[in-house]
Amino acid sequence: MTRDESKLLYAETHEWAEITEEGADKIATIGISAFAIEQLNDLVYMDLPEVGRVLAVGDEFGEVESVKAVSPLYSPVAGEVIEVHSELPDTLERLNEDPLGHGWIIKIRISDDSGIDSLMDYAAYKKQCSEAG
Amino acid sequence: MHQIPALPGRLIPYQAVGGAENMAIDQMLLESVETTGRSTLRLYGWADPTLSLGYFQSVDERWRHSHSSTLAVVRRATGGGAIVHHHELTYSIATLLDSSSIGANQILYDRVHQSMIRALADLGVSATTFGQSGCRLLGDCPFLCFMRRSDNDLVVSGYKVLGSAQRKSRRAILQHGSLLLGASEFAPELPGVSDLTGRSVTIDQIATRFTTHVQNQLSVADGPGVAWEAAGLTPTEQSRAEEILESRFGAAKWTDRR
Repeated sequence: MTRDESKLLYAETHEWAEITEEGADKIATIGISAFAIEQLNDLVYMDLPEVGRVLAVGDEFGEVESVKAVSPLYSPVAGEVIEVHSELPDTLERLNEDPLGHGWIIKIRISDDSGIDSLMDYAAYKKQCSEAG
Repeated sequence: MHQIPALPGRLIPYQAVGGAENMAIDQMLLESVETTGRSTLRLYGWADPTLSLGYFQSVDERWRHSHSSTLAVVRRATGGGAIVHHHELTYSIATLLDSSSIGANQILYDRVHQSMIRALADLGVSATTFGQSGCRLLGDCPFLCFMRRSDNDLVVSGYKVLGSAQRKSRRAILQHGSLLLGASEFAPELPGVSDLTGRSVTIDQIATRFTTHVQNQLSVADGPGVAWEAAGLTPTEQSRAEEILESRFGAAKWTDRR
């Protein structure tokens, strides 16, 4: 199932977040934007956090190795990791085709809304990407 | 395009220390530049021949290479293949980067590798990037870094002599690389610059010239080049490097993480 990129929120560091409500909980599904996937140019490895890990906004939750660089992934929200996409590191070749569907990385039960307000909507994120050149 | 900040920086002169300590210092420099804003170029060697693994390599892969089986092993924070560090000049450069930058910084690769090409040319050695060499290598992904090829690598007579790798943090980037000067008995299949050219290229000779060219390549765009200040680690940096050595690069938990 893919997602509509125009309805997602984005961090400056190119993670996307889909915020949904499940009962009393707010859940953030996190991935890497299509723009970033294209710029990274062939991811070869990915590290995922463990379920149960508690993250603050901006905490590193994983790493990726693309051609010639290892880059951290940063959590755009605060909360507890409740699910990880464990098959993703073995199927990174599918990220280019489907960064918003197959490319989900972790799900976080949000503990604190404060980080959400500083995320960008799609228009703002596109502007950031175009200004980066 | 990813821009490199044009800042006068610091040069840490050549020193050979242990493998884990080398990696701890490089990691500390990546952290430190986010605070100080001051780029650092470091030249170093390895007190003992050492095998370094790429960040995502499995530690068990080392047994694929029998010649290096007796060497101490350290896991880098950068990716790529395994390297036998012996007769080489190693460099690292840590510099600020925009937090929205993504992936590898090609400008840094280009400028540093061009600096090495020029330094080698000063000594009569003709090197080119693999991407410009016209050669193509097909096949499986070898264990050793210097058996792999990417367009940024430097080759002499078709053999890879310089490879580099990058590690990013939120606002900074570390790039380090090894220039093979001579073949090691622990990796006899990999010739160095001296073996390929018949010229004796010493660490002092290449280090001096490389430093000069890096200074010119990474200096203010409209100026002739700004000399970087030669300086060692501050006491705070030394202390932080020791913490990182103990908690990470010198720890079995880090080395054996995969």
